[in-house]
Amino acid sequence: MRKFMGGIIIVMALVIGILPAFTDCQSQGRSLALANGKTVPMKCHWTGIASIVVAVPLGLVGISEIFSKRKETSNALSILGVTLGAFAILLPTSLIGVCANPDMLCNMIMKPALILTGSIAIAASAVYFASSRKNIELSA
Amino acid sequence: MNIFHLALKNISGNSFRSGVVALCAFLVAAFALTTTLLMRGAENSLRLAIDRLGADIVVVPSGSEAKVESALLMGVPARIWMPQNNVNIIANLSGIEAASPQLYLATLTGASCCSVSDMFMIAFDPATDFTIQPWLKQNLGDDLRLGEVVGGSYISATEGDQNIRIYGYLVTLKANLEPTGTGLDQSMFFTFTTAQDIARKSVTQAEEPLEIPPDSISAVLVKAQPGVDLYDLSAQIVRVVPDVTPILSSDMFQSYRTQMTGLLKTILVIMGITWGLSVVLIGLVFSMAANERRKELGVVRAIGATRQFVFQSLLMEASLLAVLGGVTGIGLAVLFVFLFKKLIVVSLGFPFLLPSPSVLIFQIFIGMLLALFSVNLAALFPAIRISRQDPAVAMRE
Repeated sequence: MRKFMGGIIIVMALVIGILPAFTDCQSQGRSLALANGKTVPMKCHWTGIASIVVAVPLGLVGISEIFSKRKETSNALSILGVTLGAFAILLPTSLIGVCANPDMLCNMIMKPALILTGSIAIAASAVYFASSRKNIELSA
Repeated sequence: MNIFHLALKNISGNSFRSGVVALCAFLVAAFALTTTLLMRGAENSLRLAIDRLGADIVVVPSGSEAKVESALLMGVPARIWMPQNNVNIIANLSGIEAASPQLYLATLTGASCCSVSDMFMIAFDPATDFTIQPWLKQNLGDDLRLGEVVGGSYISATEGDQNIRIYGYLVTLKANLEPTGTGLDQSMFFTFTTAQDIARKSVTQAEEPLEIPPDSISAVLVKAQPGVDLYDLSAQIVRVVPDVTPILSSDMFQSYRTQMTGLLKTILVIMGITWGLSVVLIGLVFSMAANERRKELGVVRAIGATRQFVFQSLLMEASLLAVLGGVTGIGLAVLFVFLFKKLIVVSLGFPFLLPSPSVLIFQIFIGMLLALFSVNLAALFPAIRISRQDPAVAMRE
């Protein structure tokens, strides 16, 4: 069960890290045009970049969960998994956000995908926490 | 040790087998709930759109039926015209209680003079309207004045607190209608006077002027007198008014309904196959598990457990796995449909409205029941077979 949850977290980390790169407005050739003629990326692009920063440690948490045997380590990894999952949700919803137009790809795919994968990562970390406590109780 | 604990021990004892059964329950529950949510949501949305129109018959120019349906349902702007005199002809027919004209307009695409691009707009005649006016009187207690608009649920002010720029003209958003899940949620409603004012000022204020052909309207909404046969009334309209098509509210969005029925049939077939395969797979897994545990269950019988105890412990195991898979499947299905609502609408080309909490709870309950029924049905025969075996024979094998 614990290894399975670690595997789920790794998959979620991959989705969080890779999907935004292909579903932000920049990837669709859209950017903000300034008065001086220059273009700057829309804010969903920065959410995509920040989600990589969340995905890398989350992936490492997943790998560590597969190999972890100590109670203290498991507890710390679970808490870290929940925190990183929460960050994956908060990035598109409140910390950075996505574009205002609900018809844009970042609103239709990137934001819901980050919320969904973040929620699954949180749930998987919670199950990992519960199952590691149970295993430790049994072995004691 | 009671039945519950025995079932829990059996589940944790073979996590792969339990995982397969829970996965089947997950698939059955998630697929059933997603399908139900989508189909009921689309149907609900169509019904609300028809209610919002509030007309028994919508008369449109011949050949523009599909355009009108797409405009009202998906918010795709339609530019259709017919002579304004048609309203008077229709209003004078016997059996008509009210007839009101509407103008279908749209904002420009990607123009700086319009703060919302390609938005469908409906102008109505306050003197004869029976669809928007009653709602305004009930909710605002007042009519719309010049420059004031009512928006669908998605419409929000883009300029300042209450204004939206259309063809360089600032209109004031007075209120928002309740969501219908259709294109009406992305549409804007205002009076003929406001439409004419926007058109007049757009000549100097907009990148392109708003053109409303003189003495033209887009559609006539008709309310029939109680008891009047709507088919007879439609035939009467076709006879006296040239080049128009009356669409009965019950036939409205017929092309979408046909598409939905087709999709529903496909989904039902796929769901049936998934359900059948899941039940067979669960049955096989339980048969294998029962055979593996013949000796173990023989010992349990030999130390005093009744047939009923063995039978109940197997069904308890099945139920626990069904609940585990069902709850996960239902949770993910609800989250998926809720989060990807917009993508689903765009991909399927259907309107969609999430059900009310009470309906959603009922659908979740049905999904859970289906998962429980499927897993228990599959586990029933292996459980009966294993509980009836002779403990002495089982232990010797």
